[in-house]
Amino acid sequence: MTPLLQAGLAGIRRSGVRLFVLLLLVAGVTGCAGRLNKASALFYADKPQKALAELEKGDWFGQRNQLLFLMERGVVLHQLGRYQESADSLLQAENQINRFERLSISEQLGSLVTTEWLSRYQGEYSERLWVHTYLMMDFLLLGRYDSALVEAKQALELFGRYPAALKEAYFSRALIALCFANVAEDNDAYLVYRRLADDLPDPTPVAADLVAISGRLGQLDEVRHYRPYLPRPLPTGAGELVLFVASGRIPRKRPGNIVLPPSIRFSFPYYKSSRSPAVRVEVVPAYPALPVLSTNLAGVVERSLEERKLAIIAKETARVAGKEALAQAIGNEHGNAAEAVVRVSLFLLEEPDTRSWQMLPGRLTLVRIPLPAGRHRLRLELSSAGDLSRRTINLPAFDLRPGQRVFRSVRF
Amino acid sequence: MKRHLHKMLLPLLVLLVGCTVTTREVAPNEKVIYDAGYHFSDEKMIVADMVKSLLSKPPLVRSTDRPVLIVYGIANRTSEHISTSAITDDIRQALLESGRVRIVNETQRKNIERETSYQYGGSVAADTRIRKARQVGAKYMLTGTLRSIKKDQPRQFRLKKKTLMYYSLNLELTDIQTGLIEWADSVDVIRESSSPFIGW
Repeated sequence: MTPLLQAGLAGIRRSGVRLFVLLLLVAGVTGCAGRLNKASALFYADKPQKALAELEKGDWFGQRNQLLFLMERGVVLHQLGRYQESADSLLQAENQINRFERLSISEQLGSLVTTEWLSRYQGEYSERLWVHTYLMMDFLLLGRYDSALVEAKQALELFGRYPAALKEAYFSRALIALCFANVAEDNDAYLVYRRLADDLPDPTPVAADLVAISGRLGQLDEVRHYRPYLPRPLPTGAGELVLFVASGRIPRKRPGNIVLPPSIRFSFPYYKSSRSPAVRVEVVPAYPALPVLSTNLAGVVERSLEERKLAIIAKETARVAGKEALAQAIGNEHGNAAEAVVRVSLFLLEEPDTRSWQMLPGRLTLVRIPLPAGRHRLRLELSSAGDLSRRTINLPAFDLRPGQRVFRSVRF
Repeated sequence: MKRHLHKMLLPLLVLLVGCTVTTREVAPNEKVIYDAGYHFSDEKMIVADMVKSLLSKPPLVRSTDRPVLIVYGIANRTSEHISTSAITDDIRQALLESGRVRIVNETQRKNIERETSYQYGGSVAADTRIRKARQVGAKYMLTGTLRSIKKDQPRQFRLKKKTLMYYSLNLELTDIQTGLIEWADSVDVIRESSSPFIGW
């Protein structure tokens, strides 16, 4: 140990010991996300059972990462086809998010003088939407259409609060409309499809629904407006197979830093722009599908983080000012060496909060295939435009009644 | 040291009292409301009002032959996960207790079929078997929808968030033969709550 450091530590022995204990705790806290990372690695290595086992080793993450634990568990269980358990986990996540409506003073003060990692992970706006999205999928797959509708309404409320950040979440928006249409709530379905048509680059993917619903509601001008956008020939059938196709992986948050002398460090998370390739789905025997709708999750999560940027900057500025004041106060009381030690410690402590929901796909695609009534045994041929990879999935046989929708979820 | 003892003990005492786990019995008819959401006391009130209306208005008020009803599920069109089967269970029970109607057990149809098949499977004495094709057909069908509208106070600088919740349960009695709605009524619950934005 250098004489300067020895002097510094001696100088701040009384107040410094407490500070170092705190730093040690914080260092431990920031390292606790390891289990989530390990589970994520197992999941993407095509070992969802092991990923689940890792997540279920107990609540090692404490309250701070509880939301992440629940969301990750929800996705893994969905992937394993355990939709009821997935819904249970995601409903708990939803309850946690609702509790975050109330600002915790102790938590905010704690993270203000230390690091953002100390506070409970509250989820990006887009992640909150995807909790509802996965719940909608789970409930539709379970045949609990009323419960799916409840989630659709909650998702719609979230859209109302963050319309700019969530605008391009086309998959979730189409799913909301589908939940309304599925229980014959035509008015609400029409409103969601109509707004979606306005926001899409081209209304073709929702034209068939808008023409059908507008016709039932007697809105003939709307029928005339959207009829030119109908795909030709328009696929028709007595019932419909609805596929939720998840592909790729969502990018991870990256740590960003701006360092100013003498020891000021602004840290912030960011996403590097990326785009998950589109997925092509064909069924064998061949039936034409309606135009697909998909969401590039990276783009939505990026915009969500962007929407929080002002709040992040404000808090970061307050934290930097607080740390600077603390370092100067210790310097005045215990000398330059002590100040140097504290500055180094606080500098190292300033770690950007890069926690995120890691097991989400990079793209969610909604595929709807009208089919004749009867028993169907179908094979799916999935291919990715980006990396030329292909996969074949044999769907279990199912019976389709006239007017019925059958839901299936696949991950590519 | 002794001088400061009470200063140290007082916060500790407050903390201990605050952390104590307490439980108490709640009477079924007691109104306990924590927030603007749907509560079990709402269910009791809704069921009582609807059953009273159903039995005191035509067609049931003038029926003397205990007409047969089938109670179908109530569709949940709210933005909360509310178990509407609890409402139908309570309605069914209240109607049966009135003694004015008879109700087909729709939820047990599969079990009735299974039991009937078992009785005719060879294990049950012929003279104790139930007779087939003796079930009673329903004359009326009771259906309903629970809806809600939630309004949050607009975002502005304030310490409390106010929420207004409106619940409406609509019930309909349909004559299965004619397809006509013979009775319909609704009951509303409107509630405002406020909760702090900031907590410790």
